[in-house]
Amino acid sequence: MAQASKGTAIAPQNEFQRSLRSRLLEDYGILLVVLTMCIVLAILQPDYFLSAQNVTNIVRQVGMNALLALGLYIVIVTAGIDLSVGSVMALSIMLLAMVDKAGLPWPLVLLVGPAVGTSIGIINGLGLTLLRLPHPFIMTLGTLNAVRGLCNLVSGGQPISGISDEVRFIGIADIPLPFGGEFAVIPVSAILLLVCYAGVAWFMKKVSLGRHIFAIGGNPQAARVAGINVNGVLVFVYAASGFFAGLAALLMAGRTGSGYPNLGIGAELDAIAAVIIGGASFFGGRGSVVGVFAGVLVMGLLRNGLNLMNISAFWQQTLIGVIIIFAVWIDVLRRNSGQRK
Amino acid sequence: MKLKSLLLASGILMASTVGAFAADKYAVIMGNMPSANQFWAKVEQGAMAKAAELGVEVTVLGSPGGESDVTGQIALVEDQLSKGIKGLVLAPADFSALNPTIEKALKQGVKIVYIDRPGEVKDISYVGTMNEPAAAMGAQYICDNIPKGSEVAILQGVMSIAPGRDRFKGSHDTLTACGMNIVAEQTAEWDNAKGQAVTENILTAHPNIKALFASNDNMAMGAIEALKGAKMLDKVMVVGFDGNPEAAEAILKGEMAISVAQRPANMGSIGVESVSKLIKGETLPAVVDTGAELVTKENADKFK
Repeated sequence: MAQASKGTAIAPQNEFQRSLRSRLLEDYGILLVVLTMCIVLAILQPDYFLSAQNVTNIVRQVGMNALLALGLYIVIVTAGIDLSVGSVMALSIMLLAMVDKAGLPWPLVLLVGPAVGTSIGIINGLGLTLLRLPHPFIMTLGTLNAVRGLCNLVSGGQPISGISDEVRFIGIADIPLPFGGEFAVIPVSAILLLVCYAGVAWFMKKVSLGRHIFAIGGNPQAARVAGINVNGVLVFVYAASGFFAGLAALLMAGRTGSGYPNLGIGAELDAIAAVIIGGASFFGGRGSVVGVFAGVLVMGLLRNGLNLMNISAFWQQTLIGVIIIFAVWIDVLRRNSGQRK
Repeated sequence: MKLKSLLLASGILMASTVGAFAADKYAVIMGNMPSANQFWAKVEQGAMAKAAELGVEVTVLGSPGGESDVTGQIALVEDQLSKGIKGLVLAPADFSALNPTIEKALKQGVKIVYIDRPGEVKDISYVGTMNEPAAAMGAQYICDNIPKGSEVAILQGVMSIAPGRDRFKGSHDTLTACGMNIVAEQTAEWDNAKGQAVTENILTAHPNIKALFASNDNMAMGAIEALKGAKMLDKVMVVGFDGNPEAAEAILKGEMAISVAQRPANMGSIGVESVSKLIKGETLPAVVDTGAELVTKENADKFK
């Protein structure tokens, strides 16, 4: 308990320095961007964009990136990085497809993805703390490659299809709404996202371990002096990132009905981009769950909108690149103006 | 003021979409963007030509992340579904991962054919090259021109999709049947640079190799670079697959023996035509062969 009170002593001081206005900007400025994008897309694609089918499509399409980004958010708050999430997700989906095929009861199959993800996350964390590799970039770059290789080894590079309906429920099922026609549904995956995001938001604010994570990102030396078990917290952080990658695998197992070894190639970069667009700092200690979700939506809306308008995928890449630079630049400006006050 | 101009702009946009309402909408979702390589560019050309002929509105799209971008392709299909397409010509990025999306489309009454590679959903016709006999055709050329018992190697494509597996089976079975000694079978994942690296390693381990079957022209081009580097190009016969323009050039220069040409433009045009037949209530055979032919020194000019 003593640790907890020290942890809180570090976090609120940052909060205090920021005026209410800049805090609103930081937390909700990106939401304005999302809102603007929605309005523009609704005007450009009046027949399709706001249709029930398209809105549920967007919710389903952002699911994977939303979960990966949530895990990366926790890592990035500690000024870390996890490049392995795409590969971890792929290995999770292959293993869960294999055990499902082998006849493991479905409640256990549901646990396989998160369990595999968490295990590799712990390995990442131990590599960082126990082996003292100089930067998480190196450890997770290693697992990015090693785990992708394993994924192809366990499957022989072949996809495994025919995942059972119970396992697929979370990723594919819809809850029909009483109004609005056949496409007016709430995807079960949306509920999973909501639970995860609310859970992490609560955890990072209200649980002492969550506040320790912020404290480590703000200043690891100070956190250590304050009595926080920095190595332990770091292992937890990478385990959490792996957990969400495993959960994303479960989502994709539902969405695609199969395990395939190419899942999530390059997905780590999308997730990092979403976290950064959402206002988290690469130097740690800063960022909000709401911001991350907004970052995920910015990328999802951009892809969806450009798809609807039949604009070349090269533009999606280019625009996402420009948005990353722009979002961080705005952030720099905002912090500079904050410092002058 | 702003609101007014926005309303005006949206009014114009709506008016412009109303004009296009008459024609049925189809989508052709390919394995990659048309600008990514010649193959998909030809598929697009074929599809657009047939669309003009039939008077339908066709949108051609490819996965943003390239050949292995399954999630991107799923999103493309979903987004086209919400635009109310009637027909879908699809080169699935994965054998089974597109199944739920395809089933959703079928439920909405969309008519679908696979091009380039079949997927897992039953009762959807495949419009494309029959890869196994086509690869056998290329391998037979090696059998006919190299002494029996010679050392040969196969460069495999991505083995998680059907063309990779089928081309391997066609080439492997044919070379085995005609008594060749296959000393190496390795994947270079359709990639030029990987084709070069893998070939370099094969040449190190098996310097007496006499022929090399590459499952696509990209890898064959890489293999040729490796052979040049090892000064063995005159001793090793290279057979490619796809009939790409750069392969045609190499064949004319005598660097490559032959390439098995697919007919990508046929995939685009027959794909669109097949979907329109389905919409009219006609039925299709399970496989619609778009044909293959050997690119040789004699006919390579027309593939440039």
